[in-house]
Amino acid sequence: MAGHKFHWNDWCPGCGNFGILSAEQQAITELGITNNTVIVGGIGCSGKLSQYTRIPVSGVHTLHGRAIPFAVGIKLANPSLEVIVNGGDGDLLGIGAGHFVSVGRRNVDIVVILHNNGVYGLTKGQAAPTLFRGMKTKSLPRPNINDAINPVTLALASGYTFVARAYAYDVPHLKEIIKQAIKHKGLAFVDILQPCPTYNDINTKEWYDKRVYKMQDMDPVVKSESEMQEKLKKAIDKSYEWGERIPIGIFYKNELVPTYEERIKTSAPSYYDNYPAEQKIEYEKKLTTIIDPLLEERKVAEDN
Amino acid sequence: MRISWMIGGAQGTGIDTSANIFGKVVSTLGYYIYGNREYHSNIKGRHSYFTLTISDKKVRSIPEKADILVSFDAETVLQHFNEIKGYIIYNEGVKGTKVETVQSMESEVAERISKQLESENLPKTVEGALESAKRRGVKLIPVNYDEIAKKVAEEAKVQLSVVERVKNVIGIAVSTKLLGINEEHLAKVAGSTFKQELYRKLNVMAIKKAYELTESVYSLPKLEGAPERYLLDGNTAVAIGKIYGGLRFQSYYPITPASDESMYIEAHQEVLMEDPKTGDKKKGAVVVVQAEDELAAVNMAVGAALTGIRSSTATSGPGFSLMVEGIGWAGMNEVPVVITYYIRGGPSTGLPTRTSQADLLFSLFAGHGEFPKIVVASGTHDEAFKDAVLTLNLAERYQTPVIHLVEKTLANSYTTVPKQDLGVGQLYADRGKLILSPPEDYARFQFTDDGVSPRAPLGKALMYYTGDEHNEYGFISEDPVNRNIIYEKRMKKLELADKEIPEEERVKVYGNVNSENVVITWGAPTGVFMDILEETKLDFALLQLRMFSPFPSRFVSKFLQGRKRIIAAEGNYLAQAGKIVKMNTGIEATNYILKWNGRPFLRDEVEEALRNVIEKDVKKVMLSGGS
Ligand SMILES: Cc1ncc(C[n+]2csc(CCOP(=O)(O)OP(=O)(O)O)c2C)c(N)n1
Ligand code: SF4
Repeated sequence: MAGHKFHWNDWCPGCGNFGILSAEQQAITELGITNNTVIVGGIGCSGKLSQYTRIPVSGVHTLHGRAIPFAVGIKLANPSLEVIVNGGDGDLLGIGAGHFVSVGRRNVDIVVILHNNGVYGLTKGQAAPTLFRGMKTKSLPRPNINDAINPVTLALASGYTFVARAYAYDVPHLKEIIKQAIKHKGLAFVDILQPCPTYNDINTKEWYDKRVYKMQDMDPVVKSESEMQEKLKKAIDKSYEWGERIPIGIFYKNELVPTYEERIKTSAPSYYDNYPAEQKIEYEKKLTTIIDPLLEERKVAEDN
Repeated sequence: MRISWMIGGAQGTGIDTSANIFGKVVSTLGYYIYGNREYHSNIKGRHSYFTLTISDKKVRSIPEKADILVSFDAETVLQHFNEIKGYIIYNEGVKGTKVETVQSMESEVAERISKQLESENLPKTVEGALESAKRRGVKLIPVNYDEIAKKVAEEAKVQLSVVERVKNVIGIAVSTKLLGINEEHLAKVAGSTFKQELYRKLNVMAIKKAYELTESVYSLPKLEGAPERYLLDGNTAVAIGKIYGGLRFQSYYPITPASDESMYIEAHQEVLMEDPKTGDKKKGAVVVVQAEDELAAVNMAVGAALTGIRSSTATSGPGFSLMVEGIGWAGMNEVPVVITYYIRGGPSTGLPTRTSQADLLFSLFAGHGEFPKIVVASGTHDEAFKDAVLTLNLAERYQTPVIHLVEKTLANSYTTVPKQDLGVGQLYADRGKLILSPPEDYARFQFTDDGVSPRAPLGKALMYYTGDEHNEYGFISEDPVNRNIIYEKRMKKLELADKEIPEEERVKVYGNVNSENVVITWGAPTGVFMDILEETKLDFALLQLRMFSPFPSRFVSKFLQGRKRIIAAEGNYLAQAGKIVKMNTGIEATNYILKWNGRPFLRDEVEEALRNVIEKDVKKVMLSGGS
């Protein structure tokens, strides 16, 4: 792994991404899943995480906004892989917003991790979708003119079946949340509050340190169908809390919704026993798929 | 022998079903058919029609003028009376309909027809149009559909509304009688489309009454010894080809005329595989995802391909425009993925349901930066099937995106393909340098002599991918020396493909190879020229371009050397294939036969154009046939 060992990490000193990387690596290592984990990144400072891992997991650094579709393709072709998406708020909620929402309808068993820094880091600090209106971070020529998206609310409304928030500088807590997200059966989302010391001089480490607190009174787990609505409502209510106090922890967890993989199984029962990446489509160059019945349907014969 | 039949009517009124029944009737008698479907971008109400050529030999085109028109409504007569040379079967009830009252007709069409009828001193009505056709020698067959339906209802003692469903068979019956096909054969085929006994009975009664209306003028006896054949449209040919070729992931976002392919695959999602050595059979799934958009579709397909499986997507112009960035990523990361590109009329949403060949240059040059890309264009249905397998093979062998071009005409036309033409059993899988047990120190982009690196499925080894420039391990690298080497490695694969793929497979030649006239064409028009070669004495060689990248430069250049006339014939304004030929060989076309009105190349207009080019050396012909 010559190329692996010597790779340079070019995040700025003090960047919240370091905490995220470290927690993610620890979570994966502790779960013992390095061998079959794939980290899929978008584009941006955050997306490069897939290139910076110091543990032996594969990384796919994709296109701006498109990490989720890449991840879905990988997962559905080979459901035995653990697939984790990392993207910035520009990536996942700006250019990739359509995918972020749509994947919620599918409940694919992957993890989506948002590096939420309020800015477009890699293109030098433009306003990102989670930056509040009126805020003027240091590289903005004028105060931000757009309203902010609430990623936790959006994930809840989109159908994510595990929704949590964590803080980049509380690595032990973050690690636990990521572990839970990975273990969750279904689509998991972790909104990570990530200071960007270079461009976001408002939501700094000092700013967050004072505000974040761990939710104590929240029971996010849906235990029966009848609880779904009520727990979702509670989670959505809680997701609006922001300001002097910012809750971190798990907002919602529901394993009663069938995953997309399980849904495929209803129309193709052999899906898990012989999933695409395992299939033998040829044998010594001979194609193995039998298409006779398909052609038979099209056959021109007098008696049909 | 060649007879052409046309049926028209408002979309959603059973035109498709009628055309299917008719197609079945003639093909089960042993005849070859080639049918083309034309329709508006609309679900119900606008005019749509089917043209079908019937022949005792293989046929791949429709003529400009049909022998028989079956019509139920006023618009069908008005739209097509100029295109019929034999018989117009029409509904007596619509004779008095005025052109101006047909709301569904486009105003340009209505105006054109009105002007024509005016100039012929005829009333601007269906009757006027029929009279105009009659003056040209067309025979008119009036049918009182309502009267027949009423009689059937009375005899069968059912409500008139029940008979409504079998009304379409009346028009079919009149035409099969004209063709000399016996009543029982039609009843049997038509009956098989109805499950309920009542409808079968009503069918038989309606057919009987319709058969009394006319005399047989043609004679289509049952052909003996017809080979085993399949009825295939282009979409289905590609879909079955992909399944056979081992495709296991398909993502798409709905778009005409591409969606039918993916929907077919989804409907046949669970496939059976047989180990040829042990004979063991095993079921497996093809994952088909209807994505949220084309950006997702292409990137899901690319993601899936990373796991070592055969993966593809299908789209058409607007969708392909959105896919370009993802295709670039696949090129940069040497991912085998097939994009089936159904070409329709552009730019923008253009003519969404009509044909075109105007996206050739776009498909070839799609993507920023440089990366190898293979572009294959199918001309006929059996090619579409075989190319579905070929493109999957090429993608894996050269680890690069492959674009498979299929126009709307090919996608939506159907024909009878002899079993042996599909090559089932002879087609093979080439998985290139796929390795299932990669070494410890695996480098995904390892430098090799031929530029192709061993490819391990994601999950089987540690590996890194990035759309940024990278080193052998897939790590971002902006080093100028590495950039030179890895860039060349990627590009070199196209040179390898050029060396390895026989030029004869990339270009096909028909006709008199020594002729002073060479027609260069690609895609669906190929079939039209093949028919002309078989049916006329026109002297020309036909050069069908099947692969635009890597382009068979040596072959084409040698072939074109010293010819008097090089005729670029294609469905676009710029003569795009002609430009590609010039780019690769330095040889420029001398004459052009071009069409961009959204309608397919029609056999007779092409023959006439070709005569004008060959005999009178006309430089450029713009084809305008079709309605
Ligand atoms: C299609 C496309 N548009 C624009 C860019 C340029 N670009 C690179 S990074 C980036 C923004 C990244 O911001 P964010 O996703 O918030 O991630 P961060 O850098 O803050 O982690 C943009 C717009 C691109 N790579 N691709
Ligand atoms: S710009 Fe911000 S997000 Fe990017 S590396 Fe620097 S600190 Fe981190």
